[in-house]
Amino acid sequence: MFVFRLDTHSGVPPYLQLVQQVRQAVLLGFLQPGDRLPLIREVVEDLAINPNTVAKAYRQMEQENLVTGRPGQGTFVNEQQSAAMSASTYTSLRRGLATWLRRAYAAGLDEQAVNALFTSVHQQTRNEDVA
Amino acid sequence: MTWLIWRQHRTEVCVLGLLVGMFGIALLVLGTGAHDLFPDGPARCAGEAGINEACAASFRRLDEEYGYVENLLAAFYLVPVVIGAFLGAPLLARELEDGTWQLAWTQAVPRMRWLAAKLAALAGVTVALTGMFTAVLTWFRQPFDAWEGRFQYDAFDLEGLVPMAYALFAFGVATAAGAILRRSLPAFGVAFGAFLAARMSVALLARPAYATPLTTMEPVPVGGSKDQAGHRPVSSFAGWMIEHGYADATGRRLSWTEYYELEGAANRAGTNLNQFLHARGIQQFEVYHPADRFWTFQLIEAALFVAAAAVLIGVVVWRVRRRMI
Amino acid sequence: MTATEFALRTDGVGKRYRKGWALRDCTLALPAGGVIALVGPNGAGKTTLLRLVVGLLAPSTGTVEVLGHDVTASTPQTLSRVGFLAQDHPLYKRFTVAEMLRFGRACNLRFDQGLAERRLAKLGIPLDRRAGTLSGGQQAQVALALALAKRPDLLVLDEPVASLDPLARHEFLQVLMGAVAEGGVTVLFSSHVVHELERVCDHLVVLNHGRVTLTGDIDTLLAEHRLLVGPRTATDLDRAGAVVEAVHSDRHTTLLVRDGAIPTAPGWQAQPIALEDLVLAYLRRPSEPRAAVTSGVAA
Repeated sequence: MFVFRLDTHSGVPPYLQLVQQVRQAVLLGFLQPGDRLPLIREVVEDLAINPNTVAKAYRQMEQENLVTGRPGQGTFVNEQQSAAMSASTYTSLRRGLATWLRRAYAAGLDEQAVNALFTSVHQQTRNEDVA
Repeated sequence: MTWLIWRQHRTEVCVLGLLVGMFGIALLVLGTGAHDLFPDGPARCAGEAGINEACAASFRRLDEEYGYVENLLAAFYLVPVVIGAFLGAPLLARELEDGTWQLAWTQAVPRMRWLAAKLAALAGVTVALTGMFTAVLTWFRQPFDAWEGRFQYDAFDLEGLVPMAYALFAFGVATAAGAILRRSLPAFGVAFGAFLAARMSVALLARPAYATPLTTMEPVPVGGSKDQAGHRPVSSFAGWMIEHGYADATGRRLSWTEYYELEGAANRAGTNLNQFLHARGIQQFEVYHPADRFWTFQLIEAALFVAAAAVLIGVVVWRVRRRMI
Repeated sequence: MTATEFALRTDGVGKRYRKGWALRDCTLALPAGGVIALVGPNGAGKTTLLRLVVGLLAPSTGTVEVLGHDVTASTPQTLSRVGFLAQDHPLYKRFTVAEMLRFGRACNLRFDQGLAERRLAKLGIPLDRRAGTLSGGQQAQVALALALAKRPDLLVLDEPVASLDPLARHEFLQVLMGAVAEGGVTVLFSSHVVHELERVCDHLVVLNHGRVTLTGDIDTLLAEHRLLVGPRTATDLDRAGAVVEAVHSDRHTTLLVRDGAIPTAPGWQAQPIALEDLVLAYLRRPSEPRAAVTSGVAA
């Protein structure tokens, strides 16, 4: 059974964290099509989280066609047509990142500086989206 | 609610029941012995102390063998306040100091119904326990009452209706103090203090005034037992003497100084005191309540304390109704 | 929303004690079906408000309407629809757990004994122990089981997890949220801790110095407010909309605005605000009487 986590310090709304965890799990293959997600009540009792939040997350996932809810039976992961990354895209992204990292280390940045640089650019990109 | 009230207060009720039972049994045992000194029953000897030889003998034996018990009876003045305050003090105070009033008054039983049930049950137990004990004590005192009458302080206060009224009063004070102070122990203390203050002031100041006392005035008799320093009670033995003294022939009351002067003169003259006084036309007077007023006075005093209890309980009900925590 | 869809409605409610007003001008309309947090520092009036809601106190001014009926006219029927868990979860300490359940059964119209027993068994709380000998967390669970067994429509809790250790707190919230998931109960609880609200509640009331400063649906509140960061300026602030709070440092100004637009001056950026920071900003506001910020519910 899939297990959710909640990071209260991440700044990401709880329902979005649940959606992202399912998205990522599907992407990485931890959730296969046809797998049943835990019942809302089970998630609630496990995480001590508001049921409306879980319901909202499940609704959003249904809207994104990530999952399908069948009344009386549960919520099941869909066949992902285009959402799953193709193996080639995944590999090329990994290779690109490895190249960038090598360049950064060669330029003299240490691990902390690399993380800081990545986080600040990541943040900036996200903020530009919001604004 | 019945189960709840019993469960919450069973310790106090059991302890008090045990005490009442213990002292009750002790009184029954001792009382049987005291009653056995009077073959025809103590009531037959009422007022016969100086007349009937058999009764006089019985009374003498009573004094010798059971006189000490009568002295100990004074402790039972506290029975009404121990019972009433023990049951009344924790009624509201314990809930308030433990915070459980928030639990009790948010179930489906409305506050006022909860309060009414508790007050009725615990007041009922108060009256019942006090009543049972008073019944035993009254029976125990029958030989002593035959000897001294029932108006004496250690008879009137312990017999009849008034102990239950006292207990109800103590219950009312303790419950009200508990509601206002919100702590059981101080409420108990306040109840004790208020009880003693009220009882003493009523018994000493108010009780003599429940009715206009009677006055008798008659010349000092010539005869009379020498060992009663010049005075023999005129009223029936069981009456309640408020005041006594001497007056001159015109009826003017003599001050005690004047009496002592006369007494001194009689001693100097070497004559019997009574003859000396009689020769001068000195009269003796007595202000008293006759014995048959016993039950009237009981009713009046009981009504007084029950009314006070009602007022206090009314305060409690009003406070809970208005949600003044 | 119709009247029955409000769990709680208050109108100008105030409570006065000899030393002053503990609560003033509280006008709220809280929806049924969710979890509502009442947040504020100690002494803000949270306990007073909750006691007014459950009828333990009478208001000095205003009216309180719970689940459609006036709280001052309480009958067994209306009392049985509201459950209350007071601060420090009081229990009759000398009663055993079983006797506490019997108390609940004796004093309530509806009482699901089986439900309560199953809950307590699942938590490993023995029925024959005296309540006073249980740990704090276990006592809280017993009190919660008692309140939930009467199947209330509104459950009110006063700082339910304040005195609990982290594990007990988590277990308590697990049970509470589980009860909400089963459906039918609106939960209103107070807390002076702002930290983990977003996880548990969908509606918020911020109370400070006896007055409501903010109330609304959490998602709506977060959508309406944003942080505007820009070069230090003292002018043009009104253009940015309703400024809740302005913080100036040497080089830049941070504004917390509601329903506002970014100032046209260059260098300004907008950021979303976290719930915790939003609440803190409203708690930092000085306590003058002003209209509370309300959103999310058309009264």
